[in-house]
Amino acid sequence: MTKQEAEIRLKNTFGFDHFYDEQWETIDLLFKGRRVLLIEKTGFGKSLCFQFPATQFQGLTVIFSPLIALMRDQVKGLNEKGIKAKYINSEQTPEENSQTIQDALNGRLKILYIAPERQENQEWIEATRKMNLSMIVIDEAHTISVWGHDFRPAFRRIINLVKLLPQNLPVLATTATATKRVQEDIEKQISGNIQTIRGELIRENFRLYVIKVQSEDEKLLWLAENLPELEGNGLIYTGTRVNTEIYSRWFEYLGIGTTEYNAGLDSDSRKEIENGLMNNEWKAVVSTNALGMGIDKSDIRFIIHTQIPASPIHYYQEIGRAGRDGKPTKLILFYNLTKDENGIEEDYKLPKAFIDGGRPSIKNYNKVINVLKQEQLGERQIMKATNLKSTQVKVIKADLIEQGIIKEVLFGKSKKYEYQFNAPELNTKTFDELREQKLKELSSMIEYVNTRNSRMKFLCDYLGDKSHNHYQNCDNTSLTPFVLNIKETTKQKLSDFRESYFPTLHTAPKTSKTINEKKYYITLDNENNVVLGQEGEKEYCFESIDILKTKIDKLPAEKQHQFLLLINNHLSKEKLLNGVASSYYGVSSVGAALHRSKYENGGDFPDFLLKLTLKAFRKKYGQEKFDLIVYVPPTESGDLVKNFAEKLSQVLKIPISHRLIKTGETQPQKVFKNGYLKKDNVAQKFSYSEPSELAGKSVILFDDIFDSGATIKEIGNVLTKFGVTKIAPLVIARTVGGDI
Amino acid sequence: MSKELTYWLALAHTPKIQIKKKNEIIVQLYEKGKTIIDFFELGSSEWKNTYDLTLSEITFLDEAKKVLSNYAFMVEDLLEQGYQIIPITSQDYSPTLKKNLGKTYAPPVIYTKGNLKIMKEKSIAIVGSRIANDISLEFTDNVAKKASKDYKVVVSGFAKGVDKQALDSAIKYKGQSIIVLPQGITTFQSGFKKYYKQIIEGDVLVLSSFHPKAPWSVQLAMARNPIIYGLASEIYVAESSDKGGTWSGVMDGLRKERSIYIRKSNPNEKNANNLLILKGGKAVDLEGNIIEYKINEEKNLIASEPNLCSKLELSSHIENKIIELLKTDFFSAKKIIEILKIDWSTRKISDFLKSRQDILTMKGKPLKFTHQSAYNPLQKSLFD
Repeated sequence: MTKQEAEIRLKNTFGFDHFYDEQWETIDLLFKGRRVLLIEKTGFGKSLCFQFPATQFQGLTVIFSPLIALMRDQVKGLNEKGIKAKYINSEQTPEENSQTIQDALNGRLKILYIAPERQENQEWIEATRKMNLSMIVIDEAHTISVWGHDFRPAFRRIINLVKLLPQNLPVLATTATATKRVQEDIEKQISGNIQTIRGELIRENFRLYVIKVQSEDEKLLWLAENLPELEGNGLIYTGTRVNTEIYSRWFEYLGIGTTEYNAGLDSDSRKEIENGLMNNEWKAVVSTNALGMGIDKSDIRFIIHTQIPASPIHYYQEIGRAGRDGKPTKLILFYNLTKDENGIEEDYKLPKAFIDGGRPSIKNYNKVINVLKQEQLGERQIMKATNLKSTQVKVIKADLIEQGIIKEVLFGKSKKYEYQFNAPELNTKTFDELREQKLKELSSMIEYVNTRNSRMKFLCDYLGDKSHNHYQNCDNTSLTPFVLNIKETTKQKLSDFRESYFPTLHTAPKTSKTINEKKYYITLDNENNVVLGQEGEKEYCFESIDILKTKIDKLPAEKQHQFLLLINNHLSKEKLLNGVASSYYGVSSVGAALHRSKYENGGDFPDFLLKLTLKAFRKKYGQEKFDLIVYVPPTESGDLVKNFAEKLSQVLKIPISHRLIKTGETQPQKVFKNGYLKKDNVAQKFSYSEPSELAGKSVILFDDIFDSGATIKEIGNVLTKFGVTKIAPLVIARTVGGDI
Repeated sequence: MSKELTYWLALAHTPKIQIKKKNEIIVQLYEKGKTIIDFFELGSSEWKNTYDLTLSEITFLDEAKKVLSNYAFMVEDLLEQGYQIIPITSQDYSPTLKKNLGKTYAPPVIYTKGNLKIMKEKSIAIVGSRIANDISLEFTDNVAKKASKDYKVVVSGFAKGVDKQALDSAIKYKGQSIIVLPQGITTFQSGFKKYYKQIIEGDVLVLSSFHPKAPWSVQLAMARNPIIYGLASEIYVAESSDKGGTWSGVMDGLRKERSIYIRKSNPNEKNANNLLILKGGKAVDLEGNIIEYKINEEKNLIASEPNLCSKLELSSHIENKIIELLKTDFFSAKKIIEILKIDWSTRKISDFLKSRQDILTMKGKPLKFTHQSAYNPLQKSLFD
């Protein structure tokens, strides 16, 4: 096909008149059955380079993409153009995914987007035996390289696959961000005479700023005063999931319209927020970097990072999502340069901790190897056998598979891991090399913060773009830097906020039942209202179960009966409400105070904690009446919890009971690194010495620190068995990802 | 090699082309220094002219070519799950299997899991009935024990009875084993669980020559038998009836001049062991030691198998045996007498063979004969 012929078809299907030169060069190679690596900045039109040929090929084009949001947007766009495209990912029900696979098998699709993790799915693998494939695309190809900034083990299998594909099947790998080293790594991995096409990376509409601050508070304060003044709508990236919550509560407190987004949200909430972002419903979405990759919004006017990313590539990639319409766009990076007692800058610590914690110790690798030498185990069984955290087991597993020491084998529908005969020794050299590389990249990120030259030039140089552009538009070149000049009233607001914001403990049970082939559930919301929901659909909120029952009265008899079963089932569960903590453990002075008392002989918990805990209690439970305070009997910190509970009892004028007792030895929960073992540790370990006095009572259940919630749930079970009507969990601090 | 695997599976599982033809293609490629990828990149005219493929064979290969990407997905999944895919040209392919089955029967691809070096060791197969008597099981245990002591690998078929005993005994005596599956290798999950430790410690190799997804079937169980015989340097027969898998396997083996040791059965046992001894198997005792075969026992032996005795007397029987033998290779008349242990003269054999149109004569001294179906003028160095 000549370019002229192709452009006539392009006009008909996609409505564009012409291809850019590099687009046509790519497409032409694909038509010739070649393998191509295309490195072009966001907004270049990389998608067209596979979408157009896909419409011209006879069979199916499969696009492996790690970005669910991108799949959704592109499929919608393609369908609007009358091109038959679908996707397979974890956001859809298994039935929807199966239907998509059937459509692909029956030749009813031209384009199929699929998450790389699917390569482990047997239904998909079975289906691939019969599909008529025309082309394979690897989107975000930098994720296939361990030297890339976002390596994903799931892509390892895709690479193995590509190596096995027949030589004349066109393969396209695309990315916006690849250093020379990553480029070479991708070329090597995809092999088969691959041709690379690389474009320029400069984004002329970008306005780059760095704001150096002296404390975490200064970030919150600057944003309080300046966020409303920024033009348009944008994103705020925080380094951690818990910070998305804190920043977004702060903006809520200030009356600035924002919402929070992180990978912990269910897929419906994520979709809703992504839609809201498209429609500019909020000034900003506060998010971990899980949001934004692949979102097709051209007018993101600003992106603010409250923490530095791990490298300049990460940064370029993350800000690359902004300003795709070419209009001026602000990119602001905060950096807290206060030094701790060891002379380390505060904002260096988090990315450094990710590097340090990113790789488990060699001892833990050997633990996993040794248990697998005994028998084949699934992931959960490995966690139980080794007492390792799920995140650690995942990393170890991926590395051991990568090194050919273990393999993942399917047993029916479950996955097990097998040690391999003649397996090589664990190679730790690559781990050290990778760590060195990551530390180097982090130093480069600090260099970006401190550079006095053009920031865009810094990024382009770093990414190996050798073109000679005129780089402007940053606070080191043509723009006035932002200054910190915080008003006293703003500072007062922050202090008030700190004393009125209390994290929820999600302890209330959730009961599900399938009614007429739809899955319904009952649980409580953060305010402890009763929620009736349908999975993936709407939720309805009621003040009490009784009110919910009156609504059900109007349903047809059979359906009513089914819902009553659901309600009764729920009522038979533990009577736990969603509880409250006075603070997160790690993000305020609360954690430090607890630590002093518990582990440094600091005496009773200080009074400011009592004040704060009472405040949290009143805010959460308001005027509700309680009959009794019980507290979790101690494992290792003596009477600290008991003494504190007594003080609570005096102030609240609610009697205290000392009758919740342990019936067996427990280890401190922090010894256990995963939820399964924490649950086992406390199972059947509690009782109440005078059960008869509990019947009909409403109870406050107090503890100092809330971690996995396994203890609270176990005690909730025991108290419910003895007839309490309501249990309200109250703790001083809630941990974030096991930070004690 | 790994990028060729996609193509190997495509060739191995193309239907309606005989193994022999597939191996001939492989031999030609091997001799020309070409890869299997080169072969799949050829057009139908080259397939026809250079590789002597028929129109129907070309049609099936064309179909296989279209689904190469699909095979790529399957290969990736198999390797990922720790299965080895071993083409006949691979250094890892069992030399014993290749030698014993030759280009006519050696599967172009085998699938394995475990210690590949086991295939390079000296090996014995212990075969016999699924419903074997206690004596047969004791014999199996004895032979497996001796083999394990002598560092010989025990090959068995993972059926009930003798097969299972052979495997269990080899494991018991810390020997090495090959389990030859009557099914695709991915359908053996319970076995992989059961023999996990033996596999990862290198004492058991699981092997299948069938499509990796094929479920167990009677046909595959039958087709699996020649693979067991092929993988072994020596074959021990614990118990055989006068028909079925063991019988036909041993008969086939004897025709191919394999070393086959048959447990001499007691007079009160109802099996065809002693008849197999008569047909050329070497008699062994309960311990697997070779025992003197006395001609005067023949009568007694045959007396316990009256109906088979009469079969033996059918005049066409020997003729058929000769023809069957010649379907496998070239033989001189003298060799034919030796192999089949028949009391014909070389003259009688030559006259008989020259009278038949389906027999080809190769000039030279002595004259050699072959059946036309076995004739192939090319030197097959891959199999020599």
